[in-house]
Amino acid sequence: MPDTSPFDHRPDAELGSALRRALDSGDDAAFVREVLVAFDGLHAGAAPGQWWAVLTGWARPGLVAAMLLTAAAAFTLGVQIGRSSVQPMATTLVTDPLNPDSGQVAVPAIMAGSEAPNVDYVLAVALGR
Amino acid sequence: MEDAELAALAHAGDRDAFGELVRRFAGQARRITRAMLRDDDDADDAAQDGFLAALKHMGRYDPSRPFGPWLLRIMANAAADRRRRRRVRETQPLEPQTVAAGPLPDRVTDIRGLNRALREALATLPERQRAAVVLFDVEGYSHREIGEILDIPEGTVRSDVFHGRRTLREVLEDWKDWKRED
Repeated sequence: MPDTSPFDHRPDAELGSALRRALDSGDDAAFVREVLVAFDGLHAGAAPGQWWAVLTGWARPGLVAAMLLTAAAAFTLGVQIGRSSVQPMATTLVTDPLNPDSGQVAVPAIMAGSEAPNVDYVLAVALGR
Repeated sequence: MEDAELAALAHAGDRDAFGELVRRFAGQARRITRAMLRDDDDADDAAQDGFLAALKHMGRYDPSRPFGPWLLRIMANAAADRRRRRRVRETQPLEPQTVAAGPLPDRVTDIRGLNRALREALATLPERQRAAVVLFDVEGYSHREIGEILDIPEGTVRSDVFHGRRTLREVLEDWKDWKRED
């Protein structure tokens, strides 16, 4: 029996050729053909006729997400616009520039003053604020 | 053309270059997967998986290094993956020591018998030993390269080769004794 030292750096030619014979199948050409068929199958998946289908598949969830986002953004924007437009209307309706209790500067008060009224006061009274 | 050039072309989608690489390494790939898996069809499926995985990850191959060890590492992983999947399917996995504990295979009288005996003896070895012996004695890779392929230290490769050889040489010597007596 040949030397079987674990420090043997040389391949065992006899055992190697026996194992090669035992493990060889002898039909590598058929195997290569099968692998190339699989290669073709992979690349057919990227053919022009197919990539559109892939993109379409991606587009569907993208469209749904975009629609949901748009709806959410429209809702948020609508709420904010509603808030900003309701507040000034309420002020205008509730306050009365001729009523001294409303807390606003009144026309008689401006007229009764000895000095010329401030422009801001006049504008405030005119605008009802 | 060098393996690295073919690898670059294959990475770019060149079918002929990929085909040439498969032709060059089909023998090695199929032998190592056969050594690791008991079923030849499973082994060929694993080798095919390995070639397609190599194509997919060709961009990670360092062309300054030999292509063979890089590819065979992928093959070993593909075989291990397939073995794991098969083990999940099997209800009763084979005991690794079942054959080793019994007598050596019946005396063989021809090469086919020797082949069968060697395959049976290989099947008794732990998977890593099988791969190490085949890579060293059949494919001629160095201990360092085998360490890279199997992702184990070089010292472990030497030990695996030693122990694997011891079992396989017994089969070979038994067959040679029989032939001499014959």
